[in-house]
Amino acid sequence: MHTHETEKAKAAAASGKYRRIALIGNPNVGKSVIFGLLTGKYATVSNYPGTTVEVAYGNAAIEGKKYLFVDTPGVNSLIPMSEDEKVTRDILLGERPSVVLQVGDAKNLKRTLLITIQLAEMGLPVILVLNMEDEAMDRGIIIAKDALKSMTGIEVIMTVAPEKKGLKELRAAISKGDYRTPLLNIKYNPHIEECIEKLLPLMPDAGISKRSLALMVVSGDESLRGWFNANMETSAIEQVEAVRAECILRMKQPVGMAISGDRLRRAEEIAEKVIKRVPGEGGSFSSFIGRLSMHPVWGIPLLLAVLFGFYEFVGVFGAGTLVDFLEETIFGKYLNPMFTKVVETLIPFALIRDMLVGQYGLITMALTYAIGIILPITTTFFIAFSILEDSGYLPRLAIMSDRVFNIMGLSGKAVLPMVLGLGCGTMAVMTTRILESRRDRAIAAFLLALAVPCSAQLGVILGMLAALSAKAMAIWIGSVLGVLLFSGFLASKIVPGERTEFFLEIPPIRKPALRNVAVKTASRAVWYLKEAVPLFMLGTFILFILDKLSILRVIERFASPVIVGVLGLPPKATEAFLIGFFRRDYGAAGLFAMSEKGLLTPEQSLVSLVTITLFIPCLAHLLMTIKEMGLRYALSTAAIIFSTAILAGGALNFALRFFSIAV
Amino acid sequence: MENIEQPCRKVASSGTEKSHFEDEALEVIWELAESGEVRLKDIVKEVGNEEGVIGMSKDGLIAVSEDKVAFTDNGRARARDITRRHRLAERLFVDVLDLKEFEEDACRLEHAISPEVEEAICTFLGHPPTCPHGKAIPRGNCCKLYIKKVRPLVQSLPDLEVGRSAKVVFINAPAMDRLASIGLVPGAEVKLLQKKPSYVLGIDETTVAIDEDIAKGIYVKP
Ligand SMILES: Nc1nc2c(ncn2[C@@H]2O[C@H](COP(=O)(O)OP(=O)(O)OP(=O)(O)O)[C@@H](O)[C@H]2O)c(=O)[nH]1
Ligand SMILES: [Mg+2]
Repeated sequence: MHTHETEKAKAAAASGKYRRIALIGNPNVGKSVIFGLLTGKYATVSNYPGTTVEVAYGNAAIEGKKYLFVDTPGVNSLIPMSEDEKVTRDILLGERPSVVLQVGDAKNLKRTLLITIQLAEMGLPVILVLNMEDEAMDRGIIIAKDALKSMTGIEVIMTVAPEKKGLKELRAAISKGDYRTPLLNIKYNPHIEECIEKLLPLMPDAGISKRSLALMVVSGDESLRGWFNANMETSAIEQVEAVRAECILRMKQPVGMAISGDRLRRAEEIAEKVIKRVPGEGGSFSSFIGRLSMHPVWGIPLLLAVLFGFYEFVGVFGAGTLVDFLEETIFGKYLNPMFTKVVETLIPFALIRDMLVGQYGLITMALTYAIGIILPITTTFFIAFSILEDSGYLPRLAIMSDRVFNIMGLSGKAVLPMVLGLGCGTMAVMTTRILESRRDRAIAAFLLALAVPCSAQLGVILGMLAALSAKAMAIWIGSVLGVLLFSGFLASKIVPGERTEFFLEIPPIRKPALRNVAVKTASRAVWYLKEAVPLFMLGTFILFILDKLSILRVIERFASPVIVGVLGLPPKATEAFLIGFFRRDYGAAGLFAMSEKGLLTPEQSLVSLVTITLFIPCLAHLLMTIKEMGLRYALSTAAIIFSTAILAGGALNFALRFFSIAV
Repeated sequence: MENIEQPCRKVASSGTEKSHFEDEALEVIWELAESGEVRLKDIVKEVGNEEGVIGMSKDGLIAVSEDKVAFTDNGRARARDITRRHRLAERLFVDVLDLKEFEEDACRLEHAISPEVEEAICTFLGHPPTCPHGKAIPRGNCCKLYIKKVRPLVQSLPDLEVGRSAKVVFINAPAMDRLASIGLVPGAEVKLLQKKPSYVLGIDETTVAIDEDIAKGIYVKP
């Protein structure tokens, strides 16, 4: 997102002026909140594990010294089981931070220490931040900080990040600079230790200790393979494989399990000594809501209520009231006439006048669509969505929908990227990193591109459907869900491999903080404007050129067998699909404008809506898919999606006519 | 699962030791007796060695009249024990070790385990009433002791009641590494919060949702 700044920050750090500090810790413990407070740079904060899926850099000066902070995806173990966890491990492997700021959940000390132990084995200096002290207190968990300090040999700081509690102490600890490596070395089973001895001389240099690398090897960390291939001689790799095989043979139980068992025992030992339990209090209402939301019976009405609230806020208020006001009143009555007048008096060239305020004008079309129609919709969507994210409802939705996702060969965990895709598909493609296998990612990314409309598009579509009828709405939902389930089902049969089991940590229900909702919405809206407006402009400009050169007519005639023949739409709808190649939502906005002008019958509106919903998402989405999944994948799925969209739209058109259904 | 248990007889016919042969023959007779009358020719068809079977009647394990065969008290007790051990071994292999090919090993194990181990296995499995093929496992002393306590000593999560806490005894599930990384290992205390639409467990202050495939592989002691 902030690539430019990130590059600057990294370059500055490379020149040696900055100390690097990596924020590492379990998922959903508040790393990004703390990163934001330290650097003043907003990193997305939400109440579910897997919010951060790529590293973010930001710098800060504390008492005159400069630091480069690195926010990382949460990990439960430094042996990665998914792409996002691998990102974090790779940071440790390559970055050589001056100190690791390990953020942990104070109420879950044992799991926190499990990571501390691994950092100790890596030989990294650590400052331990026990965040969420408030929640620990509510549950009657009190941690003897000084005892913990002396047992681990490192600085320990208690914080409540959203209230900025403990932040002063944290800054002081950072600037004091007396960074220590935790004294938490474990002696493992003699067989394992023997293998480690043999592996040590074979291990290449890295940002972390050779012992920790050797431990990863014997634990069976497959994700290291690529790194080894890049950093080691083939003969050494073969020797490593031999030692590893020997180790596996000698041990009665899986080596990885033996190692994590020993670590857990040590963590538990320490935790027991420093935790005092007193009767807890508070949080009973939110835990009641939490239980309700995943209840097999009550969970469903609650889900419907959530959907209804969403529809009212985004579909009715955002796409209805706000759009009417902005598009028709502000742009239609004031801005566009004003711009037209200004342009007409200032610019003598008809061609340029047309380009700015004509039928395909950059102002009258691109800006009006982007700011008059799409911005209010995305903003209301992101407000509602942030509230959902911060409450902790989404992981519970995963519980409710695991079975449905099984049909598509996925587990309920895939609900997170999918629902995120309703906000912005481009971000969601990246979030598929939280899924554990390449196969799951491939299916999820495909379905995201095919049948998950993004907020901008969804808003426009809801706006149009609201103007049609409840029946049209039902048919639209049915068609899209049907295509989603059916293509998911097919994909799960075609893509080789087994479905990953459902395993997802469920955070407590928390009260969304107004501040975070506001900041998150604002940062997403700005991001949207930056990304969408240039593409809108480009798309409009191309339309303008095509129109002036009279190529548009040619294309319309050329596409007419599909647009008119298969889909039964007027030739002018070609334009909407053409700009849909740039952004699906822009295409939808084009249809919106057409139906407003009465150029589409209700049935035509419905068919065009289903088709554009299933259409290839947008240029940014495509680029992200190429980056995350590869060019071949991106192009072949795009081809499948294109034909599926036309086929589904055609089938619907045929069905509506054949059964003469009026909507 | 198929309803046949052939391989033991192969072991039997190739077996040289006398008591070993007797054990196998007794097991065959027990099985035949379960489905009705026992005839000499059926036994011989299974174990192959007619003299051996006749010899067993001389040793007072069975009584043969014309072609009908019946157990003596002595023989019945021994047949019962060996059948019980065989079927318990099968249960162990299937339920706990999740093996697909288990018959031959069950045949070997039935001769190898002592009464103490047999009781321990039976208790561990929660005094199972039937073998994986659906045939009854003869009850042992330990089963009689626990007859009122219907709940087995070890059960997998789907058998645990919602709302109960239990200690994890062993795990043979997919995603073991992921379970371990949140502290879900043998010895940990878990609370089963719900089973539908997915399993939800609480361990310490962590709440985690898993599907039935994983839940089935987590064995606990309530
Ligand atoms: N009650 C309480 N909530 C907190 C505290 N710190 C963070 N949170 C909330 O915890 C949730 C997770 O915070 P994040 O900063 O996104 O966590 P993260 O560690 O970056 O998570 P990942 O990126 O998913 O690994 C958010 O809803 C925060 O508002 C705290 O000290 N007390
Ligand atoms: Mg984060």
